[in-house]
Amino acid sequence: MRDPNFSDRQAMLIIQTALNGLVLGGVYSLAAVGFSLIFGALGIVNLTHGIFVICGAYAAMVLFHVFGIDPFLATVPVAIAFFFIGYAYQRGLIQVAISRASLVASLLVTFGVALIMRNLLQLVFSPDVRTITPSYSFSSLTFGSLRIDIVRLIAVLVSIVFLLLMALVLSKTAFGRRIRATAQQPLAANLSGVNVPHVLGQTFGLGAAFAAASGAVLGIVQPFSPSSEDFWTLNAFIVVVLGGVGSPSGALLGGILLGLISSFTAQFIGPSYTNAVMFLVLVIMLLIRPQGLLGSAFGESR
Amino acid sequence: MTMRIFLLLGTLIVIVLLPQFLAPFHIRVVQLFFFTAALALAWNVMGGLAGYWSFGHTVFIGIGAFAAAHFVAKLGLPAGPLQMIAGIVFGALFCGIVAAIIAYPILRLRGIYFAIAMLGIGQVAAELANNVGWFQGDVGLFLETALPDGVEPERFFYYVFAGLFLFTWMVSLVVMRSRFGYGLLAIREDEDTAKMLGVPTEQIKAFGFTISAVLVGMLGATYAYSLGYFTASSVFRIDFSLNMIIYCLIGGIGTLAGPVVGAALMLLLTQIILGQLLELHLLATGLVVILIVLTLPNGVMGLVGGEAFRRRFSMRAGGKAR
Repeated sequence: MRDPNFSDRQAMLIIQTALNGLVLGGVYSLAAVGFSLIFGALGIVNLTHGIFVICGAYAAMVLFHVFGIDPFLATVPVAIAFFFIGYAYQRGLIQVAISRASLVASLLVTFGVALIMRNLLQLVFSPDVRTITPSYSFSSLTFGSLRIDIVRLIAVLVSIVFLLLMALVLSKTAFGRRIRATAQQPLAANLSGVNVPHVLGQTFGLGAAFAAASGAVLGIVQPFSPSSEDFWTLNAFIVVVLGGVGSPSGALLGGILLGLISSFTAQFIGPSYTNAVMFLVLVIMLLIRPQGLLGSAFGESR
Repeated sequence: MTMRIFLLLGTLIVIVLLPQFLAPFHIRVVQLFFFTAALALAWNVMGGLAGYWSFGHTVFIGIGAFAAAHFVAKLGLPAGPLQMIAGIVFGALFCGIVAAIIAYPILRLRGIYFAIAMLGIGQVAAELANNVGWFQGDVGLFLETALPDGVEPERFFYYVFAGLFLFTWMVSLVVMRSRFGYGLLAIREDEDTAKMLGVPTEQIKAFGFTISAVLVGMLGATYAYSLGYFTASSVFRIDFSLNMIIYCLIGGIGTLAGPVVGAALMLLLTQIILGQLLELHLLATGLVVILIVLTLPNGVMGLVGGEAFRRRFSMRAGGKAR
């Protein structure tokens, strides 16, 4: 005997799943946009990306517990701090490795740093899984039978604000123009008076800042531990491959797709299959359209 | 030539006699060395010679192990040396078939995209083995070894892995000396030019990939035997994939001795010297990787090889990022 409301409830379930996916995707987009910028502009696959995200989450946790700063406000100081950390890291280590060996060496160096940082985070914060829980973290809004957590809603809004900010910086400011010029043609940019090594460092810093800011947001939405860093690195890579390299819009599209894929897989196939389906999509995408749905933002002259 | 024969004989005698003088723990370390050095050599066929850096080669360890275990279980073969050989051969061949099938689509990707696609394949295979009930990756599988009378397991597997290591070494040597090996090198240096000059790049890449997979699958099936009982997470291990790359880089990528030297150095460092400092293991490995990239971009073999070596094999030439 079929339940007369069966199709109604099925429809609500699909809408709720889509909503969850969109919310998750918004956060994924922010977490990936820094990786995307660094990959697109510098050609570096930054395996330390997940570490930046997790460090951002820990920094927000410390700020929250010690100074009582709201995690969403903590994104700003965390981002500023990681801009300088990222700049120093690129100029001091990654650039040195690239000039001594090759671009591929940057993979190894960032991997090595990721191992070191993961170990240090385990020593300092213990390998336990943490969450940041501000007072409002268990309240939620309901629309009819649809439900959304307030933290998640704020997280998505903050993510979209950050993505817009990145888009504006890249397209409207002189700094953004220097970044785009360097990404397209380092030599020509240099001839036009751009200090290329400096801009490369700044670009990396910007990527690191956005990664850390996303970590502060993620800390409220999802549990984290030092060993979840590789999840965020891979996630960022999948987002970039889905959406396209180097642009906030690509990251947003890729992030939302990934969010939808993982929430629908978890709901209708089984939660233990989300990773398998995510990677399957990644491999298929690489095979049919490796440049991503929107293509590379800096690709015109390469 | 006679020098080489003496050297080879000397090495063989050392390998055969070594367990007599070692404590069981050290026998295990040397056994691990044979295993990881052979893995690195197998990775090197594609990663070092052709410049196709796979970040998910552990997928073949896993497939080899699972294929072997299911094969002997489904056929109901009684435990014994023949069953072990049959399992290992089947694991290796099955990996070869899988590799030959995925070779065409996956090898169209280059550089970092190939690396990440392999990582993705490794993850998908691991998750499937873990979640699809039929594979029994979550509850685990048994592979019984029938030890000859009076031989301890660590000693038995020491000799097994020593044999497989020598086999992998010989295969690598033959590949590097062959026309096919030069084809792989040509692909690494400039794939488009090689293709234009008439090198059958598609076939060579697919063949190299398959050889590499067969060797890793053979080692993976044997590894599963040495464990006796394994789950998906004990054979689909991302650190296996990364270690293959790191050992090659540290020793000298694209060389015959490099992967072996790299494996020996890293194992000495992590198992013996840092054996007490388990908490700092990752940190030490990371530091070594960074120091090697900064100070020895051509690996340890680059130190002894001289200029001609540097021109022929180096990190600069290998694995273009895009």
